[in-house]
Amino acid sequence: MNAGPLRLPVALPRVSRTERDRVVAGICAGVGEALAVDPTLVRLTFGFLAFASGAGIVAYLGAWALLPAPGAATPPRGRRIAGTVLLAWSAILALRGLGLADSLVWPLALVAAGVAVGTGAASLGLGVRRAQAVALVLLVAGVVLFVSQNTSGRASTFVAPGAVAVALLLVVGPWAWRLTRERDAEHAERVRTEERADLAARVHDSVLQTLTLIQKDPGDARRLARRQERELRAWLYPDREPTAEGTLAGAVESAAAEIEELHGVRVEVVRTGDAPLDERTQALVLAAREAMGNAARHAGVEEVSVFLDAGDAGISVYVRDRGAGFDPNAVAADRRGVAESVRGRMERVGGTARIVSAPGEGTEVELKLS
Amino acid sequence: MSKPLRRVVLVEDHDLFRAGVRAGLEATVEVVGEAASVADAVPLIKELDPDVVLLDVHLPDGGGQAVIVQVAPERPGVKFLALSVSDAAEDVIGVIRAGARGYVTKAISGGELTEAVHRIADGDAVFSPRLAGFVLDAFRSGDTASTDPELDQLTAREREVLQLIARGYRYKEIAGRLHLSARTVESHVSSVLRKLQLSSRHEITRWAAERRLI
Repeated sequence: MNAGPLRLPVALPRVSRTERDRVVAGICAGVGEALAVDPTLVRLTFGFLAFASGAGIVAYLGAWALLPAPGAATPPRGRRIAGTVLLAWSAILALRGLGLADSLVWPLALVAAGVAVGTGAASLGLGVRRAQAVALVLLVAGVVLFVSQNTSGRASTFVAPGAVAVALLLVVGPWAWRLTRERDAEHAERVRTEERADLAARVHDSVLQTLTLIQKDPGDARRLARRQERELRAWLYPDREPTAEGTLAGAVESAAAEIEELHGVRVEVVRTGDAPLDERTQALVLAAREAMGNAARHAGVEEVSVFLDAGDAGISVYVRDRGAGFDPNAVAADRRGVAESVRGRMERVGGTARIVSAPGEGTEVELKLS
Repeated sequence: MSKPLRRVVLVEDHDLFRAGVRAGLEATVEVVGEAASVADAVPLIKELDPDVVLLDVHLPDGGGQAVIVQVAPERPGVKFLALSVSDAAEDVIGVIRAGARGYVTKAISGGELTEAVHRIADGDAVFSPRLAGFVLDAFRSGDTASTDPELDQLTAREREVLQLIARGYRYKEIAGRLHLSARTVESHVSSVLRKLQLSSRHEITRWAAERRLI
């Protein structure tokens, strides 16, 4: 554990004397500015405290010594210490003036001084270790004084442990608070490191491997690059490219990916809407896959377009290429067989298949489920 | 029919890709300037005043949208065509709502890109199949924030045209299928673009709001 200087857990507003609104030394206006309250309110507080054995006046002098002049840096060390002492004195005066017993005020003053030294070591120009030692002595003295002054009565037996607890809280609190913050920061850093490692592993397993494969066998570059592109997209935009099994859109996308793998053509899937996978939609996917395969094999094109439209009115899949095309009335027996198998699949689940094609015009297969 | 020469500025941060686009464009399109960042692109476009800006959606110091927003008020004649490798809906919607007249993915061929530049320069809109699919999704029935039903819904004809674009048809083919003139198909697409830019439908405004575009 490293022992850094103790710091107050909250950032205190920076107070300085100000020229604006100034009446005497610009202290009330400065305090008001820093706390964002009306300076008149601050003036009234000082005035009210002046009646508590003159505490307000002492406090004003202390603040005058302690606070930097407008636009200046911090005042010299002597003035800072004098100011702190004056402020502490005014606090004691105020507490006594407001009717608190000496037996409470002095221990409180000691504890407060301990906290001030412990947390303000840097601004008072003390070494960290010395400040901590002084703070500890002051705190212990305060607690001991409090206990010894208050052990005559009955109530005090309850107060004493409370006083110790409060003192401990004051010392340990800021330190524990800082420790928690540091641990949170460490945790966030660890998460970032893990994410980076995960990213590196993924890039290595996918992109780097693919690049290596392409260098070995450039002939296969297109297919490999396309497969890599799909994988990377699925990872980067998980909601846009559903690889989720169990939905129609996901199944159509995977079928397209398989055809791309098999035949080395691009199969571009556009979709609107989605539907659950059941017996009928599964048949639709198989028919669509077959149509994509036909386009990839026979059309002689580099790209096949697939459009899935799943809406309230029914589900349609269009598989289109701009390739060779054919005359549906005069095809060879094997081609007719393929067409029949697409049509057959659809008809068995109560759907329809329509094939529009002409030589040189490309082919579109339209599959519908209502 | 000979096409007039179109002057194009290419805004894209990837050197290799810029070179690829330049090489792929046909002779009817001349690349008069190139920029790799928003900061370089804005003054360059203002100075050169090109017909069309080919704009990458993702740029290191902002994005395509930032370029459009800074240039469009001063150079209303300059038209923007967005290019991206991303198919994320918010990218598409963001750049279109900022004022781009079209959106194509970077996989587009040089010939198609040339055609798209001419179409954009002529004041028409260019939709890729994927953008068409997305628009159909966004304008799906139900869920209207409807203050202006005119803007929040597609007509049956517009829907038909978009479906054909999503199916991979070109404008001319669509005109043939629907027995319309090519001009009419183009005006339907432009009208869809306008709706996409101005509609207050939930699906569209949500993305726009998330990106603080409105």
